Amino acid sequence: MARLIRTEKEVEGRFTEQWIVVEEDALDQWPAGPRTVVGQPTRRVDGVERATGAAVYTADVQLPGMLHAAVLRSPHARARLVRLDLDAVRAAPGVRAVIGPDDLDVLTSEPCYEGHGVAAVAADSFEAARAALELAAPEWEVLEPLLDPEEAVRRESLLAEPRRHDRGDFDRGLAAADVVVQAEYRTQTLLHNPLETHQSVCHWEGDTLVLYTSTQNIWGVRDEVADAFGLPHDGVRVICRFMGGGFGAKNDAGDYTLVAAELARRTGRPVRCALTRREENVVSGNRNATIQRLTAAARSDGTLTALGGEFVSALGWDGWLGPTAGPMQMLYACANVRTVEYGAKLNLPPMAAFRAPGFVEGTFGLECLLDELAARLELDPLELRRRNHADSDGTDDRPYTSKNLMECYRRAETHWERRHEVRARSEGPWKRGVGMASQIWYGGGGPPSYAWIRVGSDGRAVVVTAMQDIGTGTRTAMAQIAAEELGVPLEHVRVEIGDSARGPYSVISGGSSTTPSMGPAVRSAAADVKRQILEIAAQRFHLEERVLDLKGGNVVSADGGSWSLEEVTGLLEDAQILGKGARGPNPTGMRVMTFGAQVAEVAVDVETGEVRVERVAAIHDVGRIVNPLGASSQVEGGIIQAIGHALSEERLDDPATGLVLTQTLDAYKVPTIADVPEIVTELVDVPDEHLTNLGSKGLGEPPIIPTAAAIANAIRDATGADVRSLPITREELLHALEAAREQERRGAAAPA
Amino acid sequence: MELRRPPDAQHAVAALGNGSLALAGGTDLVPLLRDGIVRADTLVHLADAVPRGIDGTRIGAGTTLAELEVDPQVPAALREACAQAASPQLRSMGTIGGNLRQATRCWYWRLRFPCWLHGGEVCHAKAGQHREHAIFGNERCASAHPSDPAAALLALGARVRTDRRELSVAELYRLPTDESRDVVVLAPDELVLELDVPLPDASVYLKAMDRKKWAFPLVGVAAARFGDRVAFGLAGVAPIPWAVDSADDLDRATPLPGTAYKVQIARALIARAFSAL
Ligand SMILES: Cc1cc2nc3c(=O)[nH]c(=O)nc-3n(C[C@H](O)[C@H](O)[C@H](O)COP(=O)(O)OP(=O)(O)OC[C@H]3O[C@@H](n4cnc5c(N)ncnc54)[C@H](O)[C@@H]3O)c2cc1C
Ligand code: SF4
Repeated sequence: MARLIRTEKEVEGRFTEQWIVVEEDALDQWPAGPRTVVGQPTRRVDGVERATGAAVYTADVQLPGMLHAAVLRSPHARARLVRLDLDAVRAAPGVRAVIGPDDLDVLTSEPCYEGHGVAAVAADSFEAARAALELAAPEWEVLEPLLDPEEAVRRESLLAEPRRHDRGDFDRGLAAADVVVQAEYRTQTLLHNPLETHQSVCHWEGDTLVLYTSTQNIWGVRDEVADAFGLPHDGVRVICRFMGGGFGAKNDAGDYTLVAAELARRTGRPVRCALTRREENVVSGNRNATIQRLTAAARSDGTLTALGGEFVSALGWDGWLGPTAGPMQMLYACANVRTVEYGAKLNLPPMAAFRAPGFVEGTFGLECLLDELAARLELDPLELRRRNHADSDGTDDRPYTSKNLMECYRRAETHWERRHEVRARSEGPWKRGVGMASQIWYGGGGPPSYAWIRVGSDGRAVVVTAMQDIGTGTRTAMAQIAAEELGVPLEHVRVEIGDSARGPYSVISGGSSTTPSMGPAVRSAAADVKRQILEIAAQRFHLEERVLDLKGGNVVSADGGSWSLEEVTGLLEDAQILGKGARGPNPTGMRVMTFGAQVAEVAVDVETGEVRVERVAAIHDVGRIVNPLGASSQVEGGIIQAIGHALSEERLDDPATGLVLTQTLDAYKVPTIADVPEIVTELVDVPDEHLTNLGSKGLGEPPIIPTAAAIANAIRDATGADVRSLPITREELLHALEAAREQERRGAAAPA
Repeated sequence: MELRRPPDAQHAVAALGNGSLALAGGTDLVPLLRDGIVRADTLVHLADAVPRGIDGTRIGAGTTLAELEVDPQVPAALREACAQAASPQLRSMGTIGGNLRQATRCWYWRLRFPCWLHGGEVCHAKAGQHREHAIFGNERCASAHPSDPAAALLALGARVRTDRRELSVAELYRLPTDESRDVVVLAPDELVLELDVPLPDASVYLKAMDRKKWAFPLVGVAAARFGDRVAFGLAGVAPIPWAVDSADDLDRATPLPGTAYKVQIARALIARAFSAL
């Protein structure tokens, strides 16, 4: 029965209370461990298509008569438009339509960050569109930008009310401590840089807007664009069959989609609006920089008595305040916690979600601080973490649906033990060390999410749902789940996704929620199909339904009878069996979280500041693993991205003008394959018995969370230097080494 | 825009100047044109105009970095400098002639800030973001010369033959001045045809960068030993490739607040290069 509930919905640590219609999830979970298809390492069902170029991404969409849009963007962080010659643009060769600040909400004459959209043009070619914009000759009154996040906090230029969390008695906790450590940590602004830049192709077919877009959120884009154009929601059809990455930056429609839709409306022709790599690096979103002033207090046995933090997030002109204090509030058992988070509004491009927003930044600070505490206490860092293990969510005492962090620590032990041998391999200027960090994050998914499955007379199944595969391999995971439940080989299952007009509602591909939300819906749709097939078979073969099952592509009976599936479905001729499935509710009163631990080994050249990450072992607890191969590639991708965060990536802004200086990939340095260390992935793979018919949580985000802290802690282990600021460039490391030497000198000089 | 492909150097030189620019591999020039930093009516393709290939100590200006990095006739410092430059794709296209004349990577300059090197009044990098910038010769412009091979050629004492003269690599470069904000002494229509690279007794190139591959030098150090004399050429430390006699010369560096770390790296790499010879 459909049930209307008011519930807390979580996406990337953002909670909203909302009404949700849920259907009960009556299926029992499969027993733990690998099954016939689920739990088996499985290559991507669309791997060949992707590798051969047959897969059509938004960047590949070519429609007859398609025009190309270019957007005039503000060259200033804050300015007022004095003059703009759109007539000259209109008169340029090849131009079909021009829109300005008065024509669309996302265009403005008072830009508040570099790249803010001002005007746009559709022309026969992208080059013609760009050349036409050159004629707009804008004149600006340039205004003083606000760029310093601390200054913004002082002036109360904030995007949200300061967020406070205060439990227990922080001051009493401090007083009860034997050791108190305090430090300031900084994390940098980071850019997503997916391979496929943000882009859309819009085309009006009568009153319907057909919209091809590179998105993580087909249904969100549908609603946003429909509302913007005053259309019924299904007046917008959103298509995204393949996408070239998003990492959180493609959750919204974006100005490029609205620009393309409006220009398509005006010209009556399809219009592509695609960000260039430079636009991508300026306006498509970023992981905001943070400043974290943190305190940890503990008794000499390591028991935490107080944790405190002041967090300033440099959000830019728009965005939301990610849960940067989340790890401090939840990762460890501590009765006395006080945090305050500020979201500074600045004349810088807006932030966007980026793979575990908030927790990536907050975990760097907290997990480095914990190691500094361990050093002061002369306690083993892993042991310190064990001693402060949290059995329930400290923010509201809810029990966890499942938590195997202790098991992660146990498995981390063998990697952690290597540190003696690793340190012993230090040689000349190259010092080696090992560091670790823990991980907590959401990733439980939730309703609503739906799937349909149809099985034809040939016994083959098609899963139909309007979800998107952001590139993580969810298409493959859904095929595995359907094949497992239906007892058919994987090759007999097709998955049709990526079209809002061809399938039911599905969750956003964000917040590590796709598998835990869609997986149970697909399984329940498959179970619905299976039930019907067995009912039909029972009638056809005059047997009781309960003695029948589907296995290996056959209908089998308890007494050894076996009929091929086609013998049953063949009765349908060209008709089909149709199953429908929905994601059931999350358990009430419990907290669903993912956990993990990583151990990093580094080599540091103390003379030149070079850091090499040599090995990362990642142990994560995300419930049942549907596809171990897909899971390890998620872990590897997360760690590689995290190494960029830790060592080389940083958006640099000019401090005077607020303009982004690192707009190209030679200046904004993502890791190369040569920078990738040996990565060892271990997954605990225990189904969460409280969570859905599948027991799976998401894995898209967890692996990126602890890596930077583990690397920084390994550097401390190798050199004794505290690195508290990301990225750990050569100058950062050389400064940290100098500071450590300075401290040693002072320590040595101090009277005993 | 017109593309010409003259049959020899003489025709090429005649076609240059007055809004026409020489095009070799295009790896630097094409992005500069696309970004509107340089403008040209005509591109003069050098494929037939400039020699390509290695013959003993002589290297055609049209030789690619990919060809140089694997040729055993080429001194180690130059081979290693080429091998550590850019990416395999870029090295397959990029020529040594073009590499010596590549423009600065200063982000202000590449983003067309009206800075001193572009003919303006101030250096934006000095007051702004300059972690990749210079520690020597940075009084006017603080940009850091991006060429690895140029530092190697400087240490090796290479000579350059153009269509009209011969000069050393050390003479090829000069700090830009208020009068001429160019880093080479070549005339606008002057072509580099060939390099002559003396064979040292030993040589080496060491490079510090932000990641293991595909990054410009934060500091590059080339060292070459001829008998008991060792010469060093540095990349990434001054607006032009910079020669030093020993690590002691670093005492005279004039780093910016954000480039002081380069002095320390240069010191370490010079010591390592010296002991490697
Ligand atoms: C992303 C990236 C990373 C890079 N990393 C590095 C690096 O780490 N280290 C490094 O050293 N370099 C690096 N480079 C630079 C690269 O090596 C050069 O772009 C390349 O060598 C230039 O050669 P080209 O033949 O493509 O020159 P072009 O782009 O064709 O020309 C460059 C300039 O030289 C002039 N020119 C060309 N040939 C001659 C000639 N014979 N006589 C006179 N003038 C001439 C042209 O007119 C133009 O002004 C990098 C480049 C890029 C784009
Ligand atoms: S370093 Fe040179 S190129 Fe860069 S801003 Fe200063 S003057 Fe311009």
